[in-house]
Amino acid sequence: MAVSAVHLESDAFLVCMNHALSTEKEEVMGLCIGEVEITRIVHIHSVIILRRSDKRKDRVEISPEQLSAASTEAERLADMTGRPMRVVGWYHSHPHITVWPSHVDVRTQAMYQMLDQCFVGLIFSCFIEDKNTKTGRVLYTCFQSVQAQKGSEYERVEIPIHVVPREAIGKVCLESAVELPRILCQEEQDTYRKIHSLAHLDPVTKIHNGSVFTKNLCSQMSAVSGPLLQWLEDRLEQNKQSIVELQQEKERLLQELAAL
Amino acid sequence: MAASISGYTFSSVCYHSANSNSDHEGFLLGEVRQEETVSISDTQISSAELLQVVEIHNHDPCAQLFSFYDYAGKVSEENLSSILKDRRKNVIGWYRFRRNTQQQMSFREQIIHKQLTQLLGVPDLVFLLFSFISTANSSTHALEYVLFRPNRRYNQRITLSIPNLGNTSQQEYKVSSVPNTSLNYAKVIKEHGAEFFDKDGVMKDIRTIFQVYSALQDKVQAVCGEVEQSERVKEKIQEDVNKLKQQIALRKRKTAEEERRLREAQNADSHSTPEENTEPSEASLLSRITFHAPSAPERPSTSPNPPSYADLSTQDDSLPSSSSPPTSAALLPRPQAVGSPGHPTPGPLGMGLGLGLGLGLGLGASSNPVTTPSTPYLGNGDGSSSDSLDRQAAGQEDDEDDEDDDDDEDEDSSEYENLVSETTHLPTVVASVLAQGRPAALSPDGDARGSQTT
Repeated sequence: MAVSAVHLESDAFLVCMNHALSTEKEEVMGLCIGEVEITRIVHIHSVIILRRSDKRKDRVEISPEQLSAASTEAERLADMTGRPMRVVGWYHSHPHITVWPSHVDVRTQAMYQMLDQCFVGLIFSCFIEDKNTKTGRVLYTCFQSVQAQKGSEYERVEIPIHVVPREAIGKVCLESAVELPRILCQEEQDTYRKIHSLAHLDPVTKIHNGSVFTKNLCSQMSAVSGPLLQWLEDRLEQNKQSIVELQQEKERLLQELAAL
Repeated sequence: MAASISGYTFSSVCYHSANSNSDHEGFLLGEVRQEETVSISDTQISSAELLQVVEIHNHDPCAQLFSFYDYAGKVSEENLSSILKDRRKNVIGWYRFRRNTQQQMSFREQIIHKQLTQLLGVPDLVFLLFSFISTANSSTHALEYVLFRPNRRYNQRITLSIPNLGNTSQQEYKVSSVPNTSLNYAKVIKEHGAEFFDKDGVMKDIRTIFQVYSALQDKVQAVCGEVEQSERVKEKIQEDVNKLKQQIALRKRKTAEEERRLREAQNADSHSTPEENTEPSEASLLSRITFHAPSAPERPSTSPNPPSYADLSTQDDSLPSSSSPPTSAALLPRPQAVGSPGHPTPGPLGMGLGLGLGLGLGLGASSNPVTTPSTPYLGNGDGSSSDSLDRQAAGQEDDEDDEDDDDDEDEDSSEYENLVSETTHLPTVVASVLAQGRPAALSPDGDARGSQTT
């Protein structure tokens, strides 16, 4: 097997979770940036949130332009961290659906593996609830594809995945996290522009469409931008608190060291 | 009753949990509101229902376990106040994250909950339980969560929803107008509809709402920048603190070593070799234990094999001094959670969903029958993960004590057949039991097990 395991940094894991939980009505997707170690362990340092051009169910495909843009982003990350970074995988969400990849997913993964045999796929399943026990569930899995023995169909291969602790959230992950509202707004603007260019609409229809845009943007602000801002503020508060406490501990340790 | 938590808060709890090798807990801050829902049905004109809505705004993670309660589960009001400070009035519940455990409140959690209800003065305090399980090969992981209202008699579990974008409903745009040939219609809507548009023909609302969005995004960007800076500062100070701790530990180890050498030089050398090997590690263990003082285990201080241990202390002086095993047993660190980030679970052990404990018991029993009496240990009484015992029993621990164990185990397997008839072999067997019972305590300080006790 080309890949022995995947190590996902916990701050990248945080961004994936944020993204997956952002909507329960459609699948979201993104790319994983990192490096492959000599031990054949794929180390994911950060993720990039992508726009989905084809919003049909289970059509989670990445366009060549997006891959190219992601590669540029990987280079930027490589410059920043001084380590060789590249696109090493992709992730997408399965809201209300089982975590296992569909046939389409397995085929898509197989295609990416043709370009890079170490490419891995991650799936986050969320918004699952067992009504009887009122238990909610969030699952995540990692897989690659291999040619099935019979015929030309592909099969899923399970890859061990571990979340590696990282106490502080990296700069790249924070930047990825705040990209989400921007991407959502861009998608909305593009759709509206297409509609707006239609010349034969009467004023009432135009007003209607303008209102839909307003409504959708309000929806995005209250469901995504707002909670994101709140979380950032809370995190800032927590960090300030931690810094004070750590500073005190540092003073105490310095004294202890001096006393020894 | 309904409850909600934002996706960002939920992810943040998952993030803090993923960062901890042991269980993780914290407080839930938010608000409980009474919402009146008016419904009109055929049978009555109107019926107003009072719906209680629990909104979780934010979580306050505890830096370590046992920070506001002790091993008996007694909550300390003082510690609680110092942790919560002025956020105390916003507390509506608390949460706990555990690995490979059941979705039920443990006994200790129940008694802590009762005390918190009283101390915080929140009659309907909620408890959010996160349970993490993985497949044997660690390729798939599941995080289950249940919100409890333990103070109620019925309907103790509530559905926790995560509000999200839902439908982006871009299908609501109209691509064509309803056909209408009426000239009056066209005239009226053009004349009065013009109010909505500016001179470029763009709807005014569009510009306005976009400005709101832009301002909000700028703010998000700005706060993000501040958060990033604070993360770097925190990282740096944490590094400094870790370095200082290492230096102190090193200094203490050196001092202990020097003291030991002095003592040895003073005493007549009548001790046998095995004891010399165990003493230095015990001395450094004790110094390490005193350094990591806050974390004592919940295991009872009785030895794993009481009857044979009593025999042992009268029979053989050559074994490690009788006073040390109870001490080290009492100071065993918290069990390592399986599925924790730094320690990928080896496949063959079969840590299947929910089967970890059972399998571990089975394996332990078959590999070394003498350890079966230690099974009472496996329940910690508070529902926390106790899988390190499973791994110990199956010989999965990869620390230096395996080298000590191997010799004992070899002796053990050959001696075991003769156990019934020859009581003189008992000390060796018990020595292997004691040695196996100690590995977790004697593990090197550098790895995660040591750090989790801080």
